[in-house]
Amino acid sequence: MNPSDGSNCRGIRPASPWGLGGELALIAAALTLLSLVIKVHWMTDFMIFIIFVLSFDLLYGYMGHLSFGHMLYFGTGAYGTALWLVYGGKDPLAALAVGLMAAAGLAAVLGMIVMRTHGASFALINMAFNEIGHFMVQSPLAGVTHGEDGLSCSAGKLFGVINFYKDEWAFAVTAATLLAVFALLRVLTGSPYGLLVRSIKENEKRVKFLGFSTLRYKWATFIIASTVAALAGGMFTLVQGFVSPRVISPFGNVDVIFAVLIGGAGGLYGALIGGMVFMLIKNFLPVMIPELSKLLNVKLPQWEMWLGIVLLIIVFSVRKGIVGAIRAQWQARRPSGSPA
Amino acid sequence: MIQTIVYGFTIGAILYFFSIGLALTFGTMHIINFAHGMVYALGVYLFISFLKAFGNSFLVSLVASVVCMLPVAYIVERFVIRRLYGESLDYAIIATYGVLLIGTDLIKLVWGTTPHPVNDPIGLSVPLAGLDLPVYRILIVVSAVLLFLALRLFFKRSIIGQIVIASLEDSDGVRCLGLDVNRYFSIIFVLGSALAVLGGILYAPISTAEPYMGFHILLLAFAVVIVGGMGNINGTFAAAMVLGMVMAVTGRLWSQAATTMVFIVMALVLIFRPMESD
Repeated sequence: MNPSDGSNCRGIRPASPWGLGGELALIAAALTLLSLVIKVHWMTDFMIFIIFVLSFDLLYGYMGHLSFGHMLYFGTGAYGTALWLVYGGKDPLAALAVGLMAAAGLAAVLGMIVMRTHGASFALINMAFNEIGHFMVQSPLAGVTHGEDGLSCSAGKLFGVINFYKDEWAFAVTAATLLAVFALLRVLTGSPYGLLVRSIKENEKRVKFLGFSTLRYKWATFIIASTVAALAGGMFTLVQGFVSPRVISPFGNVDVIFAVLIGGAGGLYGALIGGMVFMLIKNFLPVMIPELSKLLNVKLPQWEMWLGIVLLIIVFSVRKGIVGAIRAQWQARRPSGSPA
Repeated sequence: MIQTIVYGFTIGAILYFFSIGLALTFGTMHIINFAHGMVYALGVYLFISFLKAFGNSFLVSLVASVVCMLPVAYIVERFVIRRLYGESLDYAIIATYGVLLIGTDLIKLVWGTTPHPVNDPIGLSVPLAGLDLPVYRILIVVSAVLLFLALRLFFKRSIIGQIVIASLEDSDGVRCLGLDVNRYFSIIFVLGSALAVLGGILYAPISTAEPYMGFHILLLAFAVVIVGGMGNINGTFAAAMVLGMVMAVTGRLWSQAATTMVFIVMALVLIFRPMESD
């Protein structure tokens, strides 16, 4: 359909053999299949994390801005939703809206500052704001957030029927949200705006030469990415019914960065697969390692070491992640020049 | 009040020991080196083991653990850092973070997760204006000042130091003179790592050793490096002392806010003096 002249610079429309509807159906089928293998409530947790990873993929994978403070917006969404449920009302949609607006507002204000920096200062200034947010929740705002003890909350039924505390409903709602986010990001990144965002990653100076105010686009992208992260946070609150400062802790940033890289940055599918693989590693390795070390009768290192080794392998051998590696294999088999 | 000031300088001194290596790596190689925290923590744990082996001799154990960490630092430089030279910032962060994770897990595997306290090797206090000040803390501050002066001399007078200073300004220019810049970077990297281990050991009697100690000091040290001006040697010293003081004073007024205040300062600095390039 569109001439493909390189992996980085595909045309405006995403090259997909099935169209967006087909893609969504495929993902939905995969998620349902996985939920049969893995416990349903685990799968719900995984999907919430994947939504978060997708939001990070927009910021890092598409726009090339590595942030060490994306958890701030996940946490703002989670706390905004929880605070509304405790002090406002029981309507889950209203609570979610409060969480999203809080995060979008925060991103709009902080985005004015952070988007003027890039590279190392962008990564670290985000981390600084994340640390400040974590502290705010823990100490000065402890009167409303209950600090380290966390905050329990319960949401009413969505549309009067959907109960978030039933595993099947929680799974269905989260899966629907995930698909909606995927569709939204697919459309956004496929639009001329998405092309511009990718161009900023490649060479911001040249985009400026073309007459675009890159700051405005970067700012908008930052707000979108943060709001989607807040959506993941809000869903977390609705499903878990509990938030603690852990949801806004700067240490969580590492998880999302790794998930994007394991899958392959900048392709949405990378975020899906990376998020899934990362959660599997994180949840199953700590269970499997003690079993395995009992079996082999040796003391084995915990999962962190294996993650470290995986990271080194990614950086030195498979830069493009799982999806990138598969795509490279795929293209090597086809005659060169045909679109993937 | 005097106690707070001495405490501030002590924290500042430790931060300086740790950050100087980080600042040099950033200034010369443009790498944010998370593996620095690994070298630091591993050095302190080795020190604790040596203390037991050498019958509580502080100085012998200190020298032994610094010497043992030199080859470790060299391996990290040779097989991780050097391969990342000239790469994008992201991959360097991720690879060195991987090294940090491996080191942390190794510590947990060998030494366990329980914190290890270390005794104050001197244990004396001097009375000053009606207060008791531990001699050990004063010693730390003095050694940091001595280190600062020694490094100044090193970078001004020695040929290695001058080459490094020149590379901080323009590493391509130095390369054009036919000098193998990587060799000097490697020396500087090992030197910086040794100083981090030294700082960690000096700090151990004040704090306790725990597997995640590398992570905690790294975050503070990033703030020092940024406030000090990314690879500025004098700036790093000033920033370490100022931020150490910020921590001590905030900690006295509102103990939970001590670390956060450092990040507020760092955010303010980044807002008003954004870095030109990476």
